[in-house]
Amino acid sequence: MILIAAVAMFDSRASALPDLSGRFPGGLGPGFYPFWSAALIAGAAVVVMYRWFVTVDTGEGVFAKREAWTAPLKIAVPMIVAVAIIQWIGFYFVTGLYMGFFARFIGRYRWFWVVLIAVLFPALIYFSFEKGFRVFLPKSKLYEQGFPL
Amino acid sequence: MDIINGFTSTLGSLAGGFGTAVQPFNLLLLTIGCFLGLVIGVLPGLGGTSGVAILLPITVFIANTGPSGATSAVIFLCGIYWGALFGGVITSILFNIPGEPWSVVLLFDGFPLAKKLGKPALALTSSFFASFIGAFIATVLFTFFARALADVALAFGPAELFAVFIMSFATLIGLGSESPAKSVMMIGFGLLLAAVGFDTLTGAPRLTFGHIEILSGIGFVPVTIGLFGMGEILASAEEQGIGFVERLSAKVGLKDIVETLGELRKRIWTVVVTAVLGFWFGVLPGHGATAGSFLGYGLARQYSKNKANFGKGEITGIMAPQAAADASAVGSLVPMVALGVPGSPTSAVIMAGLFIWGLQPGPLLFIDHPDFVWGLTASIYLGHLITFLMCLLAVPLLAKIMHVPYAIITPFIVIISIIGSYSLNNSMFDVFITITFGFIGYWLRKMKYPLAPLVVAIVLGDSTERELRKALIASGGSPLIFVASPLAATLMILAVILLLLPIIRNLRERRKPTATDAAA
Repeated sequence: MILIAAVAMFDSRASALPDLSGRFPGGLGPGFYPFWSAALIAGAAVVVMYRWFVTVDTGEGVFAKREAWTAPLKIAVPMIVAVAIIQWIGFYFVTGLYMGFFARFIGRYRWFWVVLIAVLFPALIYFSFEKGFRVFLPKSKLYEQGFPL
Repeated sequence: MDIINGFTSTLGSLAGGFGTAVQPFNLLLLTIGCFLGLVIGVLPGLGGTSGVAILLPITVFIANTGPSGATSAVIFLCGIYWGALFGGVITSILFNIPGEPWSVVLLFDGFPLAKKLGKPALALTSSFFASFIGAFIATVLFTFFARALADVALAFGPAELFAVFIMSFATLIGLGSESPAKSVMMIGFGLLLAAVGFDTLTGAPRLTFGHIEILSGIGFVPVTIGLFGMGEILASAEEQGIGFVERLSAKVGLKDIVETLGELRKRIWTVVVTAVLGFWFGVLPGHGATAGSFLGYGLARQYSKNKANFGKGEITGIMAPQAAADASAVGSLVPMVALGVPGSPTSAVIMAGLFIWGLQPGPLLFIDHPDFVWGLTASIYLGHLITFLMCLLAVPLLAKIMHVPYAIITPFIVIISIIGSYSLNNSMFDVFITITFGFIGYWLRKMKYPLAPLVVAIVLGDSTERELRKALIASGGSPLIFVASPLAATLMILAVILLLLPIIRNLRERRKPTATDAAA
């Protein structure tokens, strides 16, 4: 947080202070608001750090247990992979693969149900969003070659 | 005598409006509109504004062929708006993903009540009842005071609005149950995020570091979807384990409705007051249901006896913002109809419809097209009643969503969140924002940072800066403008008192005699 505040304050330092020379309407330049918002973060961070130093911590660490980071990681990794490959294989294929992956490896469903889920959900989304509400979702690289998805 | 005559005349006009609104074709359009709005509201990212905009072309056909012309068209469009207002709460309460910007505030207490306290039906019915009452009160105010209020609203200047926003932030710091320093830090972070992109006044890019994707700013919808939706998925994976399935009872019967009515009776004045204030806030041009909902939440928390329960499933934290949001939405139609100034983004789209149908919004609308104005007014009453009944009947179905197995519901939430973020601007960058803030949200939860001040600051950050700079431009750079008017000065003083509260509390606690002191 302190780093974010420092970078923001540095970036907006040019017009951080009110200027009544007439350069900016109302005396506030574009940097005033972000600079002082960042200063608010920095000031509060100092107080939080001080309290952290002076308070005796009796609890165990945030990621002390192994499950504390492995369980979220099992959810986070497929999520990141899915988002990363959308631009290549398109949203609908990603939805099928992602839903199918969860059904098979988390839900331990039989392959029949896995395939059904992997087909049904993208189809449902396609007809409700793409056809119904005209919300066009990302397509695969093959879309430009005439492939519908 | 004039007041009685005016009252009778208004009732007569309203009766005429009901005559138009209950025509079978208009009633059908209203029902379809409410249903579509409900569906749009449930889908994250597809907001009421975009729903109204998408269906605007259809209204040209309705206006040309319908029995009541433009009145039929506006009844249909407003139906979508009312439906979306109710529908947005469903995903907020059941999945911790805001269906609409104005339902973001329901994440604070709606989801905890539904999931952690195991009362999804109570959470949903509470919000539906509050929505209905809020909207009903606002519509009564709309009926009788629309024209008069529009004139007063114009006198509410930037300094007063800035003071209102400052008081909202002060409430979060002064009355929050979390560490005030952490709340300040989150507010600063939210304000900073809201400042990213083009400066609207000078056009200078801010905090973009040469990236063109963020020139238009960081939207608060992708951020909140990430913070709450994704963040919750990651947190629950750790807290409850992967594969966890809800075993909550979500059957809704008469008992649940009776329980909700009992809870509502205890909070009726809070709901009424927040609805009236929400309506007034909606009347102020440029603000809509979103800002109104946060205002309602802040006020309810400020005056509640159960401050400590806020954020943990407090019913007042659901009812008050929901009543205020619906009242604000109705209020936002006042400046649109009476002055030709849209009160919110959605009413701006509806106003565009008025131009398309050949109507000129403004004071003359009441004189030249009274059938239109009163047909619209009557449809607000009917639209909310229809949506309310639809929602109430659908609660058992909606609450059963929580029984869907983890392996299906979790990836589905992720997929819907991605759609919600992407569809705002057809941008993968927004999806990356959502994922990034999912991790940030998870981290902040772990480190016990409050998320509510962050979200409030992102939502209100832009408006706060705009009003601050507008006020300073008006005063030639003098900050005395913020205490020049009695209203602005009062609000500012209240904000200072609220900010000082944590310090006063701290000093009091230090002065309290400890057990050792007493023994000595």
